[in-house]
Amino acid sequence: MTSAAEAIQNASDSGQPIIEADGLVKRYGAHTAVNGVRFTVMRGEVFGLLGPNGAGKTTTMEMIEGLRRPDGGVANVAGFDTRKNLQKVKEVIGVQLQSTSMFDLLKVKEIVRMYASFYPKSLPVEPLLEEMMLKEKMNDRVKHLSGGQKQRLAIALALVNDPQVVFLDEPTTGLDPQARRTLWDIILKLKKQGKTIVLSTHYMDEAHILCDRICLMDQGKVIALDSPERLVRSLQSDSAIEFRASGYESLPEAERAGMVQLLQSVAEVKQVDMRKDVFILYTDNLQASLIDFIGKAGAADLSYAELQTRTATLEDVFIHMTGRSLREE
Amino acid sequence: MNFAYVQLTLAQLRIFARNRQMLFFTLLFPLLLMIMLGSFVGQGGGVSLDTVIVDHDGTPQSQSLIASLEFQSVSPLKAIAGSNETQALDALKKGDKQFVIVIPKGYGEQIAAVSAPSASSSASAGKLAVYFDETDATRANLGLAVIGQLVDGVSKKITQYKPAVTIEGKGVRSLNLKYIDFLVPGIVAMMIMSNNLNGVAGQISSWRERGVLRRMQSTTLRAPTFIAAQITARLLLNGVQALVLLLIGSLIFHTQVNGSWWLLILFVVLGTLAFMAIGFIIAGLAKTPDSAGPIAGVISFPLMFLGGVFFPINSMPAAFQGVVKLLPISHLSTALRQVMNVGAGMSELWPQAALLGGWTIVAFIVASFTFRWD
Repeated sequence: MTSAAEAIQNASDSGQPIIEADGLVKRYGAHTAVNGVRFTVMRGEVFGLLGPNGAGKTTTMEMIEGLRRPDGGVANVAGFDTRKNLQKVKEVIGVQLQSTSMFDLLKVKEIVRMYASFYPKSLPVEPLLEEMMLKEKMNDRVKHLSGGQKQRLAIALALVNDPQVVFLDEPTTGLDPQARRTLWDIILKLKKQGKTIVLSTHYMDEAHILCDRICLMDQGKVIALDSPERLVRSLQSDSAIEFRASGYESLPEAERAGMVQLLQSVAEVKQVDMRKDVFILYTDNLQASLIDFIGKAGAADLSYAELQTRTATLEDVFIHMTGRSLREE
Repeated sequence: MNFAYVQLTLAQLRIFARNRQMLFFTLLFPLLLMIMLGSFVGQGGGVSLDTVIVDHDGTPQSQSLIASLEFQSVSPLKAIAGSNETQALDALKKGDKQFVIVIPKGYGEQIAAVSAPSASSSASAGKLAVYFDETDATRANLGLAVIGQLVDGVSKKITQYKPAVTIEGKGVRSLNLKYIDFLVPGIVAMMIMSNNLNGVAGQISSWRERGVLRRMQSTTLRAPTFIAAQITARLLLNGVQALVLLLIGSLIFHTQVNGSWWLLILFVVLGTLAFMAIGFIIAGLAKTPDSAGPIAGVISFPLMFLGGVFFPINSMPAAFQGVVKLLPISHLSTALRQVMNVGAGMSELWPQAALLGGWTIVAFIVASFTFRWD
């Protein structure tokens, strides 16, 4: 692993860009998967790509990793252009691909040793496995590992060349809550060691906990980029009131407009978002808004169900910006 | 980078060694073929020719004919005397018997007339009716030839005919070659073909589908190192498998290896390279591992029958031969056969070596264009 001195060095380097993506475009036939993505990742930060499936997160990562050729734009990693100096880029990055399967018949230590041999310089195998909590599994075949263990092995393989930047593509998808927690601890430990981490996810809680900055993506574009706190603050409200107004979609146009107007007039409500028949009212004063909402809804004979209140989250930021939920297909 | 080559080769060998089922079945199939074809066809006398002789004559002459037909225990002809012609013909139609020979009434008198010292040349020969099932052409031809020969012998004895000219069969190679000697090199060639076509195409396309290749592509590993390791591991596997087949052939069926083992190994290597390269092309063309198998099958199955694995190429229709002679499998089976059966050397086999080498080079060039990491 990176020595303490290096970690300090890296920490003092933070604030310097290590990845620069400028206008990345990728087309598959008529479909544009990534459409002019542009961002800078700073050394030592955990940078999250958050968005629903099909937002272009994986394609964006793979263009920066040099696995896919961009149809437009440039990606630089640690000062190397991925088109001109791909081999150099590969030396300084470590990659965990979404749902990669490995050689099932090989043992854990054999597969790590093999990946280590692909690089000009690499870390010793046993301490690495120990750090990934796989030491007691090192003589087991890959096919006998649990989902969480396989994912930790994938991360061990991504670290085997002691990279400056680690790409983790949906590392916790499909894991049970316990295994997710373990993986989060590992990711935070890597950050402490000074690694720059680019992480894609469609779990907003994960992005909130792990990431220094989040790049919110939708339909191949960056729709927002900031720290999780500031993204939520951009809603200008810290709470949300959510409910389902069944039958709303079949109402006549005039009645629908009237209903939205009514909701906007609720005390202290800053914003009203809706998707299908679910409404979300954002407010800074939950108590005042809730009392006023119940009163007004009763007076207007508005029928509602599944009423809940909660703290505003990144999910709300996404809904506010796109009118769709992160979890929709 | 040499280190990566060693590690990848080791990894592939470990995967082979731990995939017991694959190892077992890739060896079992050629072994079964060898044992089945080798013991049923190779060891001679498998065809039975059950024959009923119906004697309507009942004279000493007819008895003597029956005796001489029955006596031929060395021939595949097994004759039993029977008297009921209808019953015998029914058995023939059912397939219980293959031939019915009917000795007509008056046969004895005719023979007596022909064999009498005073017999005129105009005396007509005795006629036997031979019934057979014409739908079973192979046995019919074989049986008619055997019966014809036997009757001819009887006839010559009766007329005290002394042959003026005879033949003696002598193979020019003065080698005692059996069908199994023809078969074993063909089966080794077939195994090399199917293991590499199916093995490479199946494995590479499945690794691609599962993202294993992409993951390696994201490291500093270079494609030639990966392919070189694949080749090395498969050469070792094929070498060992070919050796096992050859040893079993030689220990159980006493197949001969008259030529140099080194030359044999050289052709095993050349064959492996050529078919691996074709396997890489298929892996590149197949969109999914599910389609790789059928594509490899479509290519390897006709090759198995056209390539001189089971039948000599010369016995095929002339129209086919031109095409067949360009196929790599024909040259591999020919070369292996020539080395093992005849002890041919490189001076005679260079066309085969050149053609296999040519296939390897062309196929690898094509494969380098069709190869995809993802």
